[in-house]
Amino acid sequence: MTGFPTVSFAALLPVAVLTLGAIVLLLSEAFLVSGKRAYQSALTVAFAAAAAGAALLGPRPGPVFDGQAAQDGFSVFVTVIVCAGLALSALVGAAWLGARSSERGEFYALATFAAAGMVLLSMAADLLVAFISIELMSISTYALAAYLRRGLRPSEAAFKYLVLGAVSSALFIYGAALLYGASGSTLFSRISAGQGSPYYLVGMGLVLSGLAFKVAAVPFHAWTPDVYEGAPTPVTAFMAAGVKAAAFAVLVRIYLAAETGVTVKVAAFGGLLSALAILTMLGGNLLALPQRSVKRMLAYSSIAHAGYLLIGVVSAAVAGARAEAVASLLFYLAVYSATAIGAFAVVGVLERRADGDREAAEAWDLARFAGLARRRPLLAFAMAVFLLSLAGVPPTAGFFAKLYLFRAAVGAGFEVLALVGVLTSALGAYYYLRVVLYMYMRPPEVEGEVLSAPSLGVALTAAVLVVLVLGVVAEPLVRLATAAGGLG
Amino acid sequence: MNLLTLVIFLPLLGALALALVPRDEVGQHKVLALCVSLATFAASLGLWAGFQSVPGAPEFQFVQQAPWLPSLGIGYHVGLDGVALLLLLLTTILTPVVILSSWNAVAERVKEFLLSILILETAMIGTFAALDLVLFYVFWEAMLVPMYLLIGIWGSENRLYATVKFFVYTFAASVLMLLAILYLYFHDGNSFDYLKAREALDVTPAAARWLFLAFAVAFAVKVPMFPLHTWLPDAHTEAPTAASVILAGVLLKMGTFGFFRYALPLFPEAALSYRWALAVLAVIGILYGAMMSFVQTDMKRLVAYSSVSHLGFVMLGLAALSAEALTGSVYQMLNHGISTGALFLLVGLLYERRHTRRIEDYGGLAKRTPLIAAVFLVVTLSSIGLPGTNGFVGEFLILSGTWLSRLHAPAALAALAAVGVILGAVYMLLLVERVFFGPIRHQENRVLSDLSVREGFVLAPMIALILVMGLLPQPFLTPVKPSVDRLVQRFQAAETKRGGEKQVGTVPPAIARATAPAQAGRGGE
Repeated sequence: MTGFPTVSFAALLPVAVLTLGAIVLLLSEAFLVSGKRAYQSALTVAFAAAAAGAALLGPRPGPVFDGQAAQDGFSVFVTVIVCAGLALSALVGAAWLGARSSERGEFYALATFAAAGMVLLSMAADLLVAFISIELMSISTYALAAYLRRGLRPSEAAFKYLVLGAVSSALFIYGAALLYGASGSTLFSRISAGQGSPYYLVGMGLVLSGLAFKVAAVPFHAWTPDVYEGAPTPVTAFMAAGVKAAAFAVLVRIYLAAETGVTVKVAAFGGLLSALAILTMLGGNLLALPQRSVKRMLAYSSIAHAGYLLIGVVSAAVAGARAEAVASLLFYLAVYSATAIGAFAVVGVLERRADGDREAAEAWDLARFAGLARRRPLLAFAMAVFLLSLAGVPPTAGFFAKLYLFRAAVGAGFEVLALVGVLTSALGAYYYLRVVLYMYMRPPEVEGEVLSAPSLGVALTAAVLVVLVLGVVAEPLVRLATAAGGLG
Repeated sequence: MNLLTLVIFLPLLGALALALVPRDEVGQHKVLALCVSLATFAASLGLWAGFQSVPGAPEFQFVQQAPWLPSLGIGYHVGLDGVALLLLLLTTILTPVVILSSWNAVAERVKEFLLSILILETAMIGTFAALDLVLFYVFWEAMLVPMYLLIGIWGSENRLYATVKFFVYTFAASVLMLLAILYLYFHDGNSFDYLKAREALDVTPAAARWLFLAFAVAFAVKVPMFPLHTWLPDAHTEAPTAASVILAGVLLKMGTFGFFRYALPLFPEAALSYRWALAVLAVIGILYGAMMSFVQTDMKRLVAYSSVSHLGFVMLGLAALSAEALTGSVYQMLNHGISTGALFLLVGLLYERRHTRRIEDYGGLAKRTPLIAAVFLVVTLSSIGLPGTNGFVGEFLILSGTWLSRLHAPAALAALAAVGVILGAVYMLLLVERVFFGPIRHQENRVLSDLSVREGFVLAPMIALILVMGLLPQPFLTPVKPSVDRLVQRFQAAETKRGGEKQVGTVPPAIARATAPAQAGRGGE
């Protein structure tokens, strides 16, 4: 031990900023006199921006606290994704909660605590640090999922999320214990020392299973549709962006550290993750096909996208393709986060408000999107852009994200995974385009109240710009992702 | 600024300007869109004037190259060869025509309609001009969304089914091509550039066959080749007139152009293994399309199936791989765009007047609308390849080129295809007879108005092209020749490398063979 170097504290500044922000937001609620809460979302955005800035201007890349965490381009990139996700979700949340008169400081505080956990998770290089970050992130999101506890669906969603999330945490910590037994250390970088031991195999299997829960890979996905559908829509948006990015970040770090120095042909878990990727792509896309609830469809779509991202994880294990695969994964995460938040935001705009305890099954039905192009042309345009990007139709950011990811897969020699990827994304075109069809080609069916708020406009405009601009000039972000792909 | 780049993006700029005009100014939208499309056409005439087809001229002209996504090896690289030039001109001339043709036909959501058309034009031109595989793919896919909207919003009763089918079919087929493009990148010295890929491609023969199939499926759906054609009758029939014209006139050509530009020259050896299958499918398509046209009761559906038949000719010529047949194929691409485009325009005119597409609802129209009848007849004659019209030049070159090609059983294929020509004449003339001649059976048909001045302007360019291209084919054949020659040379090099019997080019005609039997019989060692 060399004591606590100040550089390590500097690296943790983004986490500190977010934690401080969460505390300030909690206190703001306690000292609130006027009853006006509009500033809370602005405060959240400000803290998110400060944390992202602290990460970008942070110290030189290096290990933090004797290698228990790592400050590198990778963590900075994920931190920025998480902070952007937090800011956008807070803006969406302000409008959504405001319309339901349930805007409270706790909401923003919980989201900011969760973001602190995500940021720490992206830096974690030690099983215990990873576990603590996962718990910080998860417990905050459990509470967020139950934030609107009225109605059956939110309660069911939150309870399911809590129970299954606890199981996945248990799997993770049990696996971590076995890995410690096999290698004598909890540092990611030492895990590979235990290779060959049966404890290593079981431990890695359990750790990966726990993380597969978090990223919602088939067959560990069962909680996702219910939780995504039942949680308040801004929370769902935040989960799709933040939880996914952070969980993938730690998955990449653990997997690459453990399976380092092994060729893919003999890697114990390469085949397993490939199978997981294929199942996830097929399962997510096939199950999304019959959904009439757009929110549920987007939940399955988030599973499908986890499948594509798993291709990136598998490809990154190939030594020659690592940097590019990690970069493409980061690029994909950034694009997916912006797109998913945008899509869920539009869903939130259109959804029918819960009527007391009666939860309407058709709150997010396709019919609510019918004729949107006539009622709200700009909103319909934004949703169409998000859906086309999710489907991977050029010239949107989603196309280049898929191109980049599949290119890395082909370069790493995983043509079959890429083949499944492109075929299932053709499947995806069907259900994404169906929403476009309802918006543009059907007459309005229900005169639903449509949310409209300045903060929402800001969030949607930002998301649309990201998706469209990256669809034309992706180069700068690709460069940033490439620089971040080296994994310190 | 590069003229080609200007032509590609002018419609898109016009669309952006159009988006800023307030929604209620419908008249301004139409005028602006028409002006933009005419300006694009005028600019594309500059390309036509500046294109050099003398021997020794570069293969691709008006080339512009700039880094686009250099980290991923993707560049903005555009350029035209003779074939792309002609198809580009076809696109730029059809766009103002369809805008003018929908002047009154489209009354709802005019702004979105014109936006879709202009964005579609940029995507189409870009597809012909792209010389980077990813750029090509981007333009190729970018065509889908505007067309999806055109069919789905402004189509007729069954439009939703038709447009989803169109989108899913073409999108699913294209993703395989994307995968093939990615695979190519790692086997051609890490480049998405078409020219580099063509030279440096190094894949095993087995891989080349898979890659060829991946490209071929994407293109065959677009052509469409039997048995992947089933989206086409629905899409053509349900689409509004403007979209039908663009679908038939330009989008189907994307498939045959794709074969000519990508699938054949990139993988010549694999193409040689599959050309017989392509030729047989093409002939089946010719006959099947013709027979299906026979039994249609819906005018638009009849014309749609006739497209399957006509595109079969183009594919047959491409599979024959003789200079003559290839030239005929390219010519037939243009012809089909003009004559079938004009047929859809005419059917659209009749529909606007009578609001029905059923053939039996017409009859005896020639008495009331002699001008429409005359134009319809000219277009029909062009479509069935009467000498003196453009159709004749293309079909003749394809049939004679196939007959003399080194395909298996070339005479049988050519003969069967010729049966398709005859069938085509029968069903098209029957259509003319049932719609325009005989007694007037329906009272509604007595009050139909003849061509208006606007409609005259819509049809005049089509008629002019039919006659000019039929009587003076040379200016259109000249730019095609260098491209065709290069393709044939590529295949000759491939077959030399592959060894064995000679497969491309033409066999000497029978008279020459009689005098030099030994030479012809043993050719190829």
